[in-house]
Amino acid sequence: MSNASACFHCALPVIDDRFTVNINGTAEAVCCPGCKAVAELIRDSGMSRYYDLRDAPEPGVGKPEESAGEWEVFNREDMLDAFATVDGKRAESIVYVGGMYCAACSWLIETTLSALPGVLDAGVNPVTHRLRLNFDRKTIGLGDVLATLAKLGYHPQPLAPESTAAPELLEQRTALKRLLVASLGMMQAMMFAVALYAGEFQGISADMERFLRLVSFFVTTPVVFYSARPFFSGAIRGIRAKHPGMDLPVAIAIGGAYAASVWSTFYDGPAVWFDSVAMFVFFLTVGRFLEMRARHRSIDRSVALSSILPNTVIRIDGDSESTVPANQLVAGDRVRIRAGEPIPADGRLVDGTSSVDEALLSGESQPLPKSPGDRLLAGSINLDREIQMQVNVTGVDTTLGTISRLSERARYTRPGFVRVADRVASYIVVAILVVATFVAIGWSIVAPERAFEITLSVLVVTCPCALALATPAAFAAAGSRLSLLRLLVTNGDAVEAISRATHVVFDKTGTLTRGRPHIVETRPLNDDYSAEQLLAIAAAIESASTHPLARAFESITTDDVAEDVETTVGQGVSGTVGGRRWHLGRAGFVANNAAVDADDERLNVFLGDGESLYAVFILDDEPRHDARETITALSRLGLGVTLLSGDREASVKRIAQELGVHSYAWECSPQEKLERLAALQDDGEVVVMVGDGINDAPVLSGADASIAPAHSALLAQTSADVIMLGEQLMPVVTAVRVARKTLTIVRQNLGWAILYNITALPLAVAGLVPPWLAAIGMSFSSLIVVLNALRLSRMGSTEKVAAA
Amino acid sequence: MSILYFLIPLALVILGGAVWAFFWAVGSGQFDDLDTPAMRIVLDDDSKPAEDP
Repeated sequence: MSNASACFHCALPVIDDRFTVNINGTAEAVCCPGCKAVAELIRDSGMSRYYDLRDAPEPGVGKPEESAGEWEVFNREDMLDAFATVDGKRAESIVYVGGMYCAACSWLIETTLSALPGVLDAGVNPVTHRLRLNFDRKTIGLGDVLATLAKLGYHPQPLAPESTAAPELLEQRTALKRLLVASLGMMQAMMFAVALYAGEFQGISADMERFLRLVSFFVTTPVVFYSARPFFSGAIRGIRAKHPGMDLPVAIAIGGAYAASVWSTFYDGPAVWFDSVAMFVFFLTVGRFLEMRARHRSIDRSVALSSILPNTVIRIDGDSESTVPANQLVAGDRVRIRAGEPIPADGRLVDGTSSVDEALLSGESQPLPKSPGDRLLAGSINLDREIQMQVNVTGVDTTLGTISRLSERARYTRPGFVRVADRVASYIVVAILVVATFVAIGWSIVAPERAFEITLSVLVVTCPCALALATPAAFAAAGSRLSLLRLLVTNGDAVEAISRATHVVFDKTGTLTRGRPHIVETRPLNDDYSAEQLLAIAAAIESASTHPLARAFESITTDDVAEDVETTVGQGVSGTVGGRRWHLGRAGFVANNAAVDADDERLNVFLGDGESLYAVFILDDEPRHDARETITALSRLGLGVTLLSGDREASVKRIAQELGVHSYAWECSPQEKLERLAALQDDGEVVVMVGDGINDAPVLSGADASIAPAHSALLAQTSADVIMLGEQLMPVVTAVRVARKTLTIVRQNLGWAILYNITALPLAVAGLVPPWLAAIGMSFSSLIVVLNALRLSRMGSTEKVAAA
Repeated sequence: MSILYFLIPLALVILGGAVWAFFWAVGSGQFDDLDTPAMRIVLDDDSKPAEDP
C-alpha cells in the first residue's frame, strides 16, 4: 500500500485514480468523492492557497462526513437561546471546531465564513479550536454556518455560552499583562538607573537624585506587586506545604531588594536596586511565559469527551417529539435513537431491539445485541435499527465521562523525573538560605555597609531556577513537539522510559492492522454466478447496513440496488436484488442445508438464498500502510520488535511475514501477554508496548512505556502513556527519536545549571558580583536552559516529513 | 534641568495610558491568537472566487 499516492486533500492513500481535482491547472488525485467535493469547494471559493499554506496534512483529517440535515435544527429560534447570546438582530456564538490542525485551517474557516451573507465577523483561535461567530440572525441561521463548516471537512460543535471561556485563554491573557507590565517597568527603571549611575560619577543634585529614585519607585512598584505576584504566592504556598520551591529565594530577593530600595528612597539610603528588581522579574516572567506557551500547545482537545457525543437528540415528551441540544438532557428523559447514531447518555433500552458497538468503551469489536431492559452506555453506537432509551445519567457522570476524566487527570501529574529535580531544588533552596545567612553575618562584621548588597547578590545569583527548569522545560518542549507530530503524552515519565527503550511489542488487531476487515478472497460456490456478480450483490445489500463488517464491502462499486433490506440481530442482513431474495451473514442464516466448519465462521461471510450457499467472502484485517516502514525503522534504531496477538495462528503468521517481524506469538491471553512481557523485562529489556484493545490495558500498564492509538478503547487510552492520533504507525518511531533527543537536552541542561551555580556562588560570596550582574547572570542561565529545551520543538522539519 | 520635573511625570502619564490601552486590548481578545496574525500578513486578498466553476 505504501506505493499508493496520497490524497491531495486528506493525504489518505489513493486506491485508484477515479477522482481528480483540477487545482491551479494541475490535476490532483483525491481518494473519494467527499474529498473531491471539499477540494472543489475550496478552489471555487478562490482559496486554493490553503493548500500552499497548510502544514503537512495528517492523513484523514479534513475528510468530510456525510451528515446532511443534521445542522438544519440549529437554524431554529430556540436553538439561539441555548447556543448564542442575542443582541437585537445580532447574535454571537462560540463553536468548537474539531479537525483543525494548523493556522491555515483558521485562515480557511475565517475567509470562507466571512464571505457568507449575514456573517458579520468570524474569528478562529487555533490554540483552543474555538470559533467566535457574529452573525445577523435575520439573514443567516446558525445551522447554515455549521453546515458550511461541515462541508469544508471540519466537525463543528456549538458550545453553550457558559462553557466558552477556556481556562488556558484566561491564563494566557493574565500572563501577557504581567509580561508587559514587567517589560515596560524594566525599561523605565533602567533608564532612570542610567541617570542615577551617571550622577554618581558626574555629580548630581540631592534633589534630583531623590526625585529620580522616587520615579524609579513608581515604575517598579507595579512590577513587584503585579508582575511578580505569582512568585510571592508560589513562595507562600511552598512554605505552607513545608516544601520550599525555587519561588522562595526569588521572592526573598525581590521582596528584600525592593524593601531596601524603598527605605533608601525615603530615608536617603546609600543606593537603590529598583533596576535589578525589575530586570529580575522581567526575565523570570519571560521564562514562565515561554513555558506556559509550550504547555498549552501540548493540550490537544481533539479527543475531548463531547466530540464523541451527538450535538442534538430527539426527545419524546408524552405524545410529541422535539429535537433538543444533547446537553439539555436530564435523567428520566426518553430519547429516540436512529440506526447509526451515537447514544447520548447512560441509560436503559425501553423499546426496540438492536445491536450496539461499544468498541470505544470496552474495545469489544463485535456488536453486542441489546433488548429492552439492557444497559446502554453513552458514546456507543446504535447499529441496526431505531430504539428508545430512558436516560439515567448524563454528561461528565457517565461511564464515558468518568473514563475521560481519569485520563485527563493522568495528563496533569508531573513525571517522576521532574519531581526528583524539584526535591533536589528545594534542598538547594534551604542550603542557599543557610549560606546567605552566614554571608550576611560574615560581611556585617567585615564591611557592614556592603553586607546587604552582597547577601542580595548571593540570593539572586545562586537561585536554582536553571536547575529547576532544566527538566520540566525540556519535557514541556518535547510534549509540544510530540503533539505537533500527533502524539499526546499523558504521562511525562514515558518520555524517559521511551528514550531508554530496547524493545517494542505490538498488538496486532487495530494496531499493526487497521482493525477494519477487508475482503481477501471471494469463493463462488455456485456456477450460475461469477465472483464479480456475487460481490456486487453482497455490496448492494451491505451498502444499506451499518454493521462494522459491512465496511469491508464499502470499496466495491455496484450498479445493483437492494430493496427491503432487513437486519436480523446477530445473524446477518437480507435484501432483494434483481427480484431475488438474498441473505448475507452466518452460514446457518443464509442457507438451511449449509455444512461449514464452525471454526471458520468468525471470519467468513456467506451469501445464500435461504436454501443453498452461493459464495463465501473471506475477510481479514489489512495492515496499516506504514506498518512495514515503521518496523524497519525501529530495527534500524536498534530496537527489537515482537508481535503478541490474541488472534489465530494463520492470521498472525501472515501479518508477521508480510511485515518482516521475526518474533511473534498467537492466541495469547492478556495474562500470557503480560508473562511474555515480564520475561523480556527480566532479560533486562526496556519494553514499549503499543496496543489498543481493552484486554491490552493490563499489558500497557505493565510495560515500561505504552502507546495507544486514539481510536482505541478508552480504557486502553487511560492506561497508555502516549496516545497516537491519526491513522499512522510511524509516530512510534518519531516518539523514540524525540524521547532520546529530550534526554540528551535534559543532561546538557542539568550539566550547565550545576556548572553555573558552582562557579557563581564563590564569586558572589567574595563580593565580586554586584546585584544587577547577579540578576543578569541568573536570568541568562535560566533563559539558556529554556532556549536549549525549545530546540526540541524545532527539531528539524525533516523529522516531520519522515513521519508523515 | 528643572524641565525634568515636568517631563518625567508626563512620560509616566503616557506610560500609564499605554498600559491601560494594552490591558483593554488583551481583555477584548485581540491577543488571544498569537500564531495566525504572523501568517495573515503574507496572505494576499486578491484571489477572487472562480467565475465559472
